Amino acid sequence: MSENLEHSFVQQLKDNQNIIHKICRLYTDSEDAHKDLFQEITIQLWKAFPKFRGDSKFSTWAYRVALNTAITLYRKNKRSIATVEYEGRQHFIKEVDYNYEEEEQIKLMYKAVYQLSDIEKALVFMYLEDKDYREIAETLGISEVNARVKMNRIKGKLKKILNP
Amino acid sequence: MKELDLLKKDWKKKENSFVQISEIEIYKMIHRKSSSIVKWILIISILEVLLWTSISILFNTDDYFKKMDHIELIPFMKGITYLNYGVILVFIYLFYKNYIQISTTESTKQLMKTILRTRKTVQCYVWYNLGMALISLIIGYIIALVYNPETNILMSQITNSGKVMAITIGVLLLTTVAFFGVFWLFYRLLYGILLKRLYANYNELKKIDL
Repeated sequence: MSENLEHSFVQQLKDNQNIIHKICRLYTDSEDAHKDLFQEITIQLWKAFPKFRGDSKFSTWAYRVALNTAITLYRKNKRSIATVEYEGRQHFIKEVDYNYEEEEQIKLMYKAVYQLSDIEKALVFMYLEDKDYREIAETLGISEVNARVKMNRIKGKLKKILNP
Repeated sequence: MKELDLLKKDWKKKENSFVQISEIEIYKMIHRKSSSIVKWILIISILEVLLWTSISILFNTDDYFKKMDHIELIPFMKGITYLNYGVILVFIYLFYKNYIQISTTESTKQLMKTILRTRKTVQCYVWYNLGMALISLIIGYIIALVYNPETNILMSQITNSGKVMAITIGVLLLTTVAFFGVFWLFYRLLYGILLKRLYANYNELKKIDL
């Protein structure tokens, strides 16, 4: 029974691992930290898995546990968010086609996002993932209206970071 | 916001660009130990309870009172010991109840709230023990000065000279302050480091809904 559970978990996690990678990408600043957080999220997902009843999709369920782990449970050894170099992260992201000017702007944008707080990053993450405000609000435990207000403030903050 | 849309485009484009973790690696991962903040709180809390429980069990005052010919104080101290046991049991129950409620499937705010509540339970227990330690210290001072025959000379000096009295009270006060100061510093350091980020995030979440 427990072997079945383990097998089912590993299968589903493997198929949905990009969710975790994306969160790690936003919340860590080195390859080691990425692996470390990936591992902690995996452990937390596995711990919570017996209570996963399958009435929601594995991915929906995993989003919440993974995000909660990144924001709340994970203990970073070092915090050096402001100095993150997006270039430094390219080596574990496979090459994709390249548009120079756009890529420059995207780099700046990533740098700006890295300067946000943990909570702000969570909102940006879910925004990038096309989650609606109802889900964002539910995941974080805030009201929908205020989730919208906060997201608008974050946009303003990002603008300020980009054009100081 | 134009830039954010650009970022979203890039984000989606790179969605499948992560180096994939194999099944075998995932198997290995789920058998490793977590190093989450909750685990650290649990470990530290167990150590705290063990420390305070062993102090209250090991610190046997019976012999002291017998030595001083004041066995009538023994039942009083026994009462305090039983009270301590009761408090420990209540505390362990409360801690356990809060601890099992910590769930990563709750909303972020709720999760943080439960963790902080669990932590607060331990804090209350520590404050209780510190309070008891303070009371014991004061009672200890009084007993030492009033009942202990060895301090009779000091007592007569105190009543005769205001200077000696001031010095004695000063020394006792300093000892007490130092005792609490050490604890306060220790807790500031320990939980300051451990919970700083959690508190900051929790307050930020709370502020969103204000």
